Amino acid sequence: MAPEHVVVAPLLVALVTAIATLLLRAAPRVQRGLSVLGGVAYAVAVAAVFRAVAREGHLVYALADWDAPVGIVLVADSLSAFMLVIAAVVGLAAVVFSVGYLDPANQTLSYHSLFHFMLAGVTGAFLTGDLFNLFVWFEVMLMSSYVLVVFYSGPEHTRAALHYAVLNLVGSAVMLLAIGGIYAVTGTLNMADIAARLGSGAADPAPVLGLSAVLFAVFALKAGIVPFQFWVPAAYRAAPAPVTAVLAGVVKKVGIYAVVRLYFTVFAAATLPVSLPFVAGDSFLAFFGPVMFAMAVGSILLGGIGAVNQPDVDGLLAYSSIGQVGFIVLPLAVAATAPFGGEVMVLGIAAALVYSLNHGLAKGLLFLAAGATRRATGATRFADLGGISERDPVFAGAFFLGALALVGIPPLSGFFGKFLVFDVGVRAGATGALAVALVGAILTIAYFSRAWNRAFWGEPVAYERKPLLVGVVCVLAVALVVAGLAFDPVFRAAEAAAEAAVNRSGYVDAVLEVGT
Amino acid sequence: MTATYLMAAVLGLLFAFGTFLVLRRDLVRVVWGVTIMSQATNTYLVTMGGFAGSVPVLGGYGADPSTVQDPLVQALVLTAIVIGFGTTAFALVLTYRVYEEHGTIDLADLGEGGDA
Repeated sequence: MAPEHVVVAPLLVALVTAIATLLLRAAPRVQRGLSVLGGVAYAVAVAAVFRAVAREGHLVYALADWDAPVGIVLVADSLSAFMLVIAAVVGLAAVVFSVGYLDPANQTLSYHSLFHFMLAGVTGAFLTGDLFNLFVWFEVMLMSSYVLVVFYSGPEHTRAALHYAVLNLVGSAVMLLAIGGIYAVTGTLNMADIAARLGSGAADPAPVLGLSAVLFAVFALKAGIVPFQFWVPAAYRAAPAPVTAVLAGVVKKVGIYAVVRLYFTVFAAATLPVSLPFVAGDSFLAFFGPVMFAMAVGSILLGGIGAVNQPDVDGLLAYSSIGQVGFIVLPLAVAATAPFGGEVMVLGIAAALVYSLNHGLAKGLLFLAAGATRRATGATRFADLGGISERDPVFAGAFFLGALALVGIPPLSGFFGKFLVFDVGVRAGATGALAVALVGAILTIAYFSRAWNRAFWGEPVAYERKPLLVGVVCVLAVALVVAGLAFDPVFRAAEAAAEAAVNRSGYVDAVLEVGT
Repeated sequence: MTATYLMAAVLGLLFAFGTFLVLRRDLVRVVWGVTIMSQATNTYLVTMGGFAGSVPVLGGYGADPSTVQDPLVQALVLTAIVIGFGTTAFALVLTYRVYEEHGTIDLADLGEGGDA
């Protein structure tokens, strides 16, 4: 078996698990067991991809042996592998949590199939080397997530799902429009081929810049960045807790991944003189830098201020999620305005990736903890909560760790995430970025201390401990500590991923020379 | 060339009409608007194959690209239609559920009581 065959493994595992759990609805216990087993197998497959990528560099799998650029290819490099690891860790934790969290009768419907279809969509989006297939995998991911948002189908849930679905349907139409336009201008859908043709001047870069700006709006919608954040709070409140953990921890990162992959690897190949106030350059990135910066600033401020005012845990975490994604986009904005392929750009992308990992783990933990709190006390509003730290110190400790990781206290992984964001700002001399990051950090401290005071201190309420749920939350807390204490390999993986993102010639050569 | 302008005008009208419907208060009209917009996108994709761009498969074998329709866009549109069909069906079912849960499909009545 050639090493590139391993690329398709996570995709197959997720699809097979989804179909098998659909067929096993008559035997609920077997179905649940298989779903968890599928989660474990997915993690194993991702680990195999990660190892193979670390050894071989770019892995290109040509579907049905049709070579690129005509055929469809799956490409795994360090960037895809890094994102897949986030998906595997959060996905596995969420699926184990689901088994203990959801009413068993609800689970026998199609919950587990939808969950694994969503993972399959995420995996496909991370691995595809083809622009149209990116659209298709987005749709696979979104269609399952629509149903999961409406899962409880109460009045609030149908309304949230409606907003979420209609917005994303419009987003999909716009995405298809941009992809069609890019195909018409460049004559190809293969990402590597687009980069090659833009680089060699075979395609006119001016229309591609406009179309890629349209596409950027769609990715910002998926990532929930200001001004496309308005669907986030309602949808995150409506979905079951483990689904929200995956939506915030993984599905949002697909938008981030698409931005890094397309704008740093593919579209940056074109040269087009850009002259705007504050910035000038001859790459598309010079145009997107200020756009990303504005979006990041808006997200950090709006998310942080929104979170301080929320009456319930879910709402607080949802707004916090908007703000934290701003922290991921901020170093990307700095990286976009830095010289291409330079130290600052690589460090900026690496900072965004480390922060993505930290946010995936910590926000996954916090949403699961919110679910566990709801199961244990029957409440999520701060007014009805209190004294959990007395009733269950272990659970309270895990929640506290998650909050500290987002605030950025050493030695948790969040400290390094925040530190790298500031480091990139200092190196690029971006004082505006530093100021915003500082305000955002203070807001994070404010809303988490409020959540802690209201829910975990004060008058104790009735509390019934669920060992499995608390266990999953604690495992994620341990993962946060481990990622922080053993930060060196994490950073090296993120740096390798960032270097892969700016290594355009490596990507293009690997994809276009497959089979030759 | 006339055909290009004609198609551009038709697409513009379709998108305008779709957007107009999406902004209505009646939920069924919103779903109609989304459907029309996605169909307009499909029409746009087919237009790409007839008037501009190069043909990736045939071009490589020496055929004159200007005499054939690009088969790739047709394949793309086929995929997009299937996806659009599924999502439209889901949106309509969701509309029905919203009617059951809220007793109305007027978005102005639905909108209160949330911050979304």
